[in-house]
Amino acid sequence: MKLEEATAYTAKCFHGEPASCSYACPFHLDIRSFMARAAEGKWSRAYKQLREATVFPLIVSILCDQPCRTRCQRTLLGDEAIAIRDVEAACVRYVKNRKPQSYAIPPKKERIAVVGAGVAGLSCALNLAQKKFNVTVFEKEGTWGGVLRNHDRFAGFAEELELQFSAVKVDFRYNTEITSLEELAEYDAVYIATGEGGESFGLLDSWNPELFTTRENKIFLGGMLTGATLMEGIAQGIVVSKIIEGYLQTGKAALSPDMRYDKNYCGRYLDHEGAVSKPLVAASSPDGYTEEEAKQEAARCLLCDCDKCMVACEMLKRFKKTPKMIAVEVFADTQVNPPFSTRSLTRQAYSCNICGYCKSICPENVDVGSLLQLSRRGRMNDGVHPAALHDFWLREMDFATSEGSYTAAPRGKDSCEYVFFPGCQLGASNPEYVLKTYAYLEQKYACGVMLACCGAPAYWAGDDKRMEDNLQRIRQGWEELGKPVFVFACATCESLFAQFLPEIGRISLYEILAKDDSIVPTQPFAEAAVFDPCNARGDEEMQEGVRKLAEKAGITVEELKEKNRCCGHGGHIRVANPSLYDEIAHNRAAASEKPYIVYCVNCREVFSLKEKKAVHVLDMVFDTGSSDRLPTLQEKRDNSLEVKKKLMASIEGAEFTPEKHAWDDLVLLIDDETQKEMERKLISAGDLKEAIWLAETTGQKFIDESDGMCLASMVKPVITYWVQYREVGPKTYQVHSAYYHRIRIKEEE
Amino acid sequence: MSDKERRWKCGKCSQELVQQKVVFNYLGHTFSHDLPACPDCGQVFISKELAEGRIAELEEELEDK
Ligand code: SF4
Ligand code: SF4
Ligand SMILES: [Zn+2]
Repeated sequence: MKLEEATAYTAKCFHGEPASCSYACPFHLDIRSFMARAAEGKWSRAYKQLREATVFPLIVSILCDQPCRTRCQRTLLGDEAIAIRDVEAACVRYVKNRKPQSYAIPPKKERIAVVGAGVAGLSCALNLAQKKFNVTVFEKEGTWGGVLRNHDRFAGFAEELELQFSAVKVDFRYNTEITSLEELAEYDAVYIATGEGGESFGLLDSWNPELFTTRENKIFLGGMLTGATLMEGIAQGIVVSKIIEGYLQTGKAALSPDMRYDKNYCGRYLDHEGAVSKPLVAASSPDGYTEEEAKQEAARCLLCDCDKCMVACEMLKRFKKTPKMIAVEVFADTQVNPPFSTRSLTRQAYSCNICGYCKSICPENVDVGSLLQLSRRGRMNDGVHPAALHDFWLREMDFATSEGSYTAAPRGKDSCEYVFFPGCQLGASNPEYVLKTYAYLEQKYACGVMLACCGAPAYWAGDDKRMEDNLQRIRQGWEELGKPVFVFACATCESLFAQFLPEIGRISLYEILAKDDSIVPTQPFAEAAVFDPCNARGDEEMQEGVRKLAEKAGITVEELKEKNRCCGHGGHIRVANPSLYDEIAHNRAAASEKPYIVYCVNCREVFSLKEKKAVHVLDMVFDTGSSDRLPTLQEKRDNSLEVKKKLMASIEGAEFTPEKHAWDDLVLLIDDETQKEMERKLISAGDLKEAIWLAETTGQKFIDESDGMCLASMVKPVITYWVQYREVGPKTYQVHSAYYHRIRIKEEE
Repeated sequence: MSDKERRWKCGKCSQELVQQKVVFNYLGHTFSHDLPACPDCGQVFISKELAEGRIAELEEELEDK
C-alpha cells in the first residue's frame, strides 16, 4: 500500500484547518486559535500569532476592513459577527511586551532591493531582514509610510514601523528615486512596491499575480501598484518575502503547499447544532474594549472546527484520533513485516461498524469506514489479521453457502423473473419469515428462491477471496435461473449486491408488500419509531415500503432524529470490542422511547438483547408473531436447515437430509444461565457436542473422579473451545460451563 | 463443589496433573508459561478462570500490537 492510497480517503477532511473566516482574511490569520487565546487573556501568545501573520499588528488592527467578519459563522445563528479587529486591537493594547524578537540565524550574503517604503514594500523588507538577508529599501520621498503619511494617525503608525524594525538591520535610502532597473543590477532580487500609480518599469503587463514575478528574472512586483488594497499590499509583501527566499535558494519562484490558500474554503460552514445565540459585546469606551470586554467578545467565537464524525460516531469518539491520523496509521500498519502489525490500529480497525454514518454526515463525504475496511482487507491479504475476531461469522457464512444453501426456480419451472433472496439470517431467526414470504411471492410472482449468503461476513472480515468466490456462486445461480430480479428482505444483502453485483436487478420485498392492497398488517403498537438499518441508507423504496406497511397497520410512526445508524451488529465488531458494541446497542435502543419497527433481523436481535421492544415488519405482515425469546446459535442453524428442507419438499418434492455427524445423537442439558453465557460468547451447542464426543471417544479429557466431572477442549479452526460436563444418562450430558481462548497451545513436535 | 477444590486427573493416563512449561502461539508471537498438565501425555489444563482472565488480557494485548 502506498501512503497516498490511505490518505486519499481523508484528503478532504478539514478538521484542524483554519475556519471559514481565516480564508477571507488577507493574512490568513488563524482567527479561531487567536480567539481561543484572547478569550483566556493569553495576550502574549495571541500577539505572537498576530505579529507573525500581519507583521504590523497595530496598523492592521486599526485599518483592516475585516473581510473575515463577512465569513464569521456566528452570523448563522442570527448574531453579529465576532468583532475580530477590535479584539486584535485589544490584544495589541493589553499585551505586556511588544518588542520584536531578533532571530539567532546566520547572516546571508544575498542582497535584496525593495523599491518603495510604503507598508507593502516594508512588510517584505522586514520579513527578509528578519531572515538575515541584506535588504536595501529605496524611497523617493524623505521618509517611510507611503499613503499612510496622509492618515491622521500617522504618528502612531510611524511608531509601529519604528518598533517593528527595531530588531533588524535594513539600509534605508530615502530621497532616492530609481529610474531604471539597471541601477539595481547588482542585487540578487528586487521587489517593486511603488504604490498606486507608482513606477512599474514597464513590467505590469507581464506581472504574475500568483507568484508576483515579471518577465524580468529576479524582479518581483506587488502592492497597491497592482490595484491591491492597503491590507492586501501588506499581506502580499509577506508572501513575496517567502517566494524570494525560495527563489534565492532554488532559482525558482514557487508557492509552497502551506502558502496555497483556497478562497472557496471561506464557504465551508458547519451546522452549529445546539450552539447558543450571544449578542455582540459592546465597548464601554470609545477607545475600544477593556481587557475584560475583549475576553468576553473573543469567547463568543464558536471556534468553528469540524469534528462531526468524531462526535457522532461512538467508535471515533472512543479512539480519539482524527480521520487524517487514522489514514496515516492504516498505511503505517502495512509497513511492518508480517506477522507483526504496528500496535496502534488493530483494535480500532476491527471496531468499526463500517456503517457509512460518518460519510453521510461529513460535509466532504469522507468515509472513515471504507478506510478501515481497506485496512482489514490489507491485513487479510498480508496474513496479519486476528482471525479469531471474525471466525465465528465466517464459519456461519461457510455453512450458509454450503450445507444451508439452496437455489431453485419455482415449482415446475427452470427459470423465473424474480428470485427471493432472504439472506442467511432471516430464516435462521424464524423459518416462518422465509416460508410465508416465499409462499406469497411464489403464488403472486412465480418467484424462485436462493438461500445463500450475500457475503457480508467476508466483506466485514476483509476476506477478498471468500467474497469473490461467493459472488461467483451467486452470479452462476442467477444465470442458471435466467437472470431474474432479486427480491431482498435484508438491506445489507441489497446494498452489497448494489456494490458488487450491479448487473443484477434488485427490488425490496417491503416495496412489493406495500403495493399489495390485500395485505393488512397487524398492529403491534399504536405508536412506534421505524429503525432503519444502516445499510438501507439511500434505499428510498425500501424505507418507504416499511413506512407504508406501518401506516396500513394504523401505527403512528415517529421518525428518529439520527437516521440509518448501525444497531451495533455492522462490521461484526462484537468479538473485537464487546464494550463498544454494547455501548452502541444501548444508544440505539435509547434513541426513542417508542418501540421500534425493524426490518433487519440483526437489528431485531440486538434490540431484543437490550430488552427494547421491537417487531420485525414481517411479523406484522404475515402475523408470524416471533416470540421475544431469540433462537440459540444452534437453533438458528437448525432453522436454516428446516427452511431448506421445507422449500425443497414443496418445490421439488425432494427429501433433504442434512449432513450426519457421529455426535448428532448426543443430548446436552444446558440450563438457561449457561445457555445465555454461551450465546454471549458465541459458543454453539453443536461445537460442544463435537468436543464432548471427541473427548469421550479418545479419552482426551480431564476428569475429577469424585463426581465424574469432565473437562474437554477442541480447536476449531482457530479458537480453542472448552466444555465442563458430566454424563447424566446414556449419551446425555449436563453442560456446566463453556469457554474459549484464542491463543494456541503449541503441539509437541 | 467449587472448581478450585477439584482434583483433576488426566482422563487418558489417570495421572495427577503437574506444573509444566507450556509453549503458546498467537498471531505470530510465541511465549511460554507454567501450567498444570499431564506428566505422561502432556495434555494441558486451562481453567475457565485462567482463559477468561489472564489469557483474555494477553490476547487483547497481542491483538493490539
Ligand atoms: S465530518 Fe469528520 S471527516 Fe468529515 S470533515 Fe468533519 S472531521 Fe473531517
Ligand atoms: S465564530 Fe470564530 S472561528 Fe467561527 S467564523 Fe466566527 S470568528 Fe471564525
Ligand atoms: Zn495424560
